[in-house]
Amino acid sequence: MRCQTARKRVSDELDGALPSGRGVRLEAHLRTCRACRVYREDLERIQAGTGLAEAPAGFWTAFERELEARLSAEEAGRKRVEVPFAAGRRWAWAAGAALVLAGVSLWLALPRPGPAMIEEAWVAADDILDPIVRAVESDPELAGRIDRELQASIEEMSPVADPLFWESLSDDELRAVVTAMEKESGLGGPQ
Amino acid sequence: MDERPEASLVADARRGGREAFAELVRRHERRVRGIALRLAGNAADADDLAQEVFLTAWKAVGSFRSGSSFYTWLYRIAVNTSLSFLKRKGRERNRAPFDENRNAAVPGSDAAPGPEDRSALNELTARIDEAIAALPAHFRASFALVVDQGLSHADAARVLGCSENTVSWRMHKARKLLQARIKPFLEEARR
Repeated sequence: MRCQTARKRVSDELDGALPSGRGVRLEAHLRTCRACRVYREDLERIQAGTGLAEAPAGFWTAFERELEARLSAEEAGRKRVEVPFAAGRRWAWAAGAALVLAGVSLWLALPRPGPAMIEEAWVAADDILDPIVRAVESDPELAGRIDRELQASIEEMSPVADPLFWESLSDDELRAVVTAMEKESGLGGPQ
Repeated sequence: MDERPEASLVADARRGGREAFAELVRRHERRVRGIALRLAGNAADADDLAQEVFLTAWKAVGSFRSGSSFYTWLYRIAVNTSLSFLKRKGRERNRAPFDENRNAAVPGSDAAPGPEDRSALNELTARIDEAIAALPAHFRASFALVVDQGLSHADAARVLGCSENTVSWRMHKARKLLQARIKPFLEEARR
């Protein structure tokens, strides 16, 4: 056994953490190694000389009294912070709860569009539109005017009707439009 | 009168029982202060830390899992509170690095300032305390639990949140450092 290992085991032995099998081998090493024997003696003296000074008389009574006071203060602080229904706050909590209750009741009482109401709305719309549609269908001239109006409004919205539309396009956009038109008309040649 | 089982006290404390908690304090206050004293290095800080440990325990006892050991939990709070304190104070940063070659003054030599009438045992204890105080904090924590409080490596490992092997190794290193530091004194005393 090496001295380093033996000294580690001496330390374990002092702590009562050395398995008995290892103790036998340690003792065998110590019989032949004076330096390790001295090391063990030194550690035993250190162990025996280790001790903490006892607290002076009356210390623990004062300690417990101080701790008791600090625990009481801690608990009082906790109650102030954590108890939600403390006397001063009961009215505020009650008022808040009443408001929430009133809000929920109001929401529940509000009329909502059920299936019957939606059906009624459709019927009402049909009642308004039906005479107009019938009048247009019975008058070809009126139908033609409406068609023309619709066509004119569609043309107004198309880019061709806006002379400034092409000027607002960039070169790339113009090239893309030209390519698309050529492709559509079959003039663009093979792609 | 028979002592109440700790599990019953812990259960009461978890439900907010101050009397039960006070009994737990009485059972563990010496050990908690001992851990704090070994880590903080002076009585005034150790007293404050012990108070802080029990306050923290009181606030957190509701989340303590009844399946685990109360003292392991409490000592973990003690070690963590003390280590945090040392960090806050920057003592670990300012502490002179442990120098194995820097030996303690030999009694009777010019460098020994201690009073001449101090007994050899007291002198040894004082030297050992100084040497322990110069150990790195995690070594001191292991030393406090294993040597001062008599915990097994397994229990100390549970408190420190590390493996048994780590505790064993730290104890070996700590003892090696201590022995190296007070070796001249031990040799002088041996003569």
